[in-house]
Amino acid sequence: MMAPGGPPAAIIVRDLSKRYGNSHGVLALDHVSLSIPTGTVFGLMGPNGAGKTTLIKVLTGISDITSGSASVAGFDVQKQSLKVRARIGWVAAEVILDDDFSAWENLWLQARLQDLQGWEERATQLLTYFGLIDRKDDKVSHYSTGMRKKLEIALALLHQPVVIFLDEPTIGLDVSTRRMLWDIVTGIHKEFGVTVLLTTHYIEEADALCDRIAIIDQGRIIAEGTPNELKSRVQADVVQLESADPIDPKRLAQIPGVQEVRAQGNDWMIRVGAADDFLPRLFAVVRPEAIRRISVEKPSLETVFLQLTGHRLGQEEPMHDIRKFYAQMRRARS
Amino acid sequence: MRSQLWGLYVREVLRTFRNPFVILITLVQPFMWLAFFGSSFTNLAAASGKFGAGTYFGYLLPGVLSTSMLSVGMFGSMSTIQDKRFGFMKRILITPTSKQTIFLSKAFGSATRGLVQIPVMIAAAVVFGVNFSLSPLEWAAWVLGLLLLATGFSSLFLAITAPSTDWQTPGVVSNFITMPLMFASASLFPSTLFPAWMQAISNVNPITFSAEFGRSFLLGTSVDWMNLGYLAVFAGLMLAIGYFVSARWLKVE
Repeated sequence: MMAPGGPPAAIIVRDLSKRYGNSHGVLALDHVSLSIPTGTVFGLMGPNGAGKTTLIKVLTGISDITSGSASVAGFDVQKQSLKVRARIGWVAAEVILDDDFSAWENLWLQARLQDLQGWEERATQLLTYFGLIDRKDDKVSHYSTGMRKKLEIALALLHQPVVIFLDEPTIGLDVSTRRMLWDIVTGIHKEFGVTVLLTTHYIEEADALCDRIAIIDQGRIIAEGTPNELKSRVQADVVQLESADPIDPKRLAQIPGVQEVRAQGNDWMIRVGAADDFLPRLFAVVRPEAIRRISVEKPSLETVFLQLTGHRLGQEEPMHDIRKFYAQMRRARS
Repeated sequence: MRSQLWGLYVREVLRTFRNPFVILITLVQPFMWLAFFGSSFTNLAAASGKFGAGTYFGYLLPGVLSTSMLSVGMFGSMSTIQDKRFGFMKRILITPTSKQTIFLSKAFGSATRGLVQIPVMIAAAVVFGVNFSLSPLEWAAWVLGLLLLATGFSSLFLAITAPSTDWQTPGVVSNFITMPLMFASASLFPSTLFPAWMQAISNVNPITFSAEFGRSFLLGTSVDWMNLGYLAVFAGLMLAIGYFVSARWLKVE
């Protein structure tokens, strides 16, 4: 799984299972294996309850392991937990700071917890980088959400960790703060050379930030690769159209590049190699006036996820036709 | 471990002093005992003649200061539960910090919080007419005794509430511990007035050791230094229990 000739993996997970409680408890992780190369931004993507947070808890030493093993920064997370914890940073989904303390006092405490000497220079550098240096003596309770997030990331970077874990870094943030955080993730990765493992259930976030992505569902890794690799698994665009009059499906199936045609009354779903080539050919066969509505869905991580799991991310209820459509497509292929 | 313990201890103490409400709660309860219980009982105490020389306030003060170290333990537990609920426990543990270090910082932090009460209560006692003629060594010994008592009770509370994340647990535990330990001790009355079964409890109750130790300085009776020894054993034992319990059962969230 390691890239040939590349640097050693920052995180290696081997056949890891985690069951909460007794043997009848929830199996939160089901024989997970992963290798996360050093220096990458790696995304764990999946719906709520998929096992993302549990995996982070195991890798940070907060939670024990039922079977299998894992190592972070070259140390076993169970047997060498203290060494691991000296080399990782962690930013929770929610903000966890001492509100009655200033940014500088929060950094001081973090330095004590990491047993750092001469941390002040690094702290100043981080506060400057995040634009908080002028407010360093203000109580954190006077900070905006974006500033708190920045301070949390500064705390996680203070001891120059090898790996930083970002658990749902943008959940509950407004759009502009979210964009800002994306820039920060990309920035700290470049600036501080840290390996980033982030969890998210936002597809566009994983797509925008991650070098590699693992899709996790019900405790299992169901796909792993670069965003482009994953997208190329769905080698088709989906054209959805609503026609004014009945169309003979054979006429559509004859159009070059069409892989599959399905109809429900006047609603059509057509799987094609490339929609760009298909649309002009479609209009040669069907009069444009006969089409009420047309849309094209390009391969996205959303469609990959949908195809692999049969349900959309962040949507527990089954989607109407499109879900059946993909499920049937999957069955037809296998 | 020293670096982490210092950091967490400072955090614990600073958090207290930046939160006037916590200080107020810590101070009000013992003050109420002194003011109301002391005032209502003072004539009865004088009439009975079993409370030594001086006013009842002088008798009561070392007792009330001792029992108030019980509530200090409860506040330490509450601050731990708060850290669990707000995720701070996770933040601390995802650094090279052990659960035992967290326990020690909480135990010493709440014991320190308990000491805040001493000067305020002394000042209140002066207002109620208590005379203090202690040497610096006697002051130090008295405070040390209270510090040991507070450390012991803080550790006990932290050990009992280690597996809990429920806000209500410290209150429930406190109700079970505070009442019996307060009344089955020599903190309010001489234990010689108790029935035999309560005397038996009182004779092993650390509050009794602390109350009588402080009283001997304040009332000028002979000092039993063994009381300080018992308090040291109590504090050491509870610290050891808390240390092992938190390593095994301290819940993170």
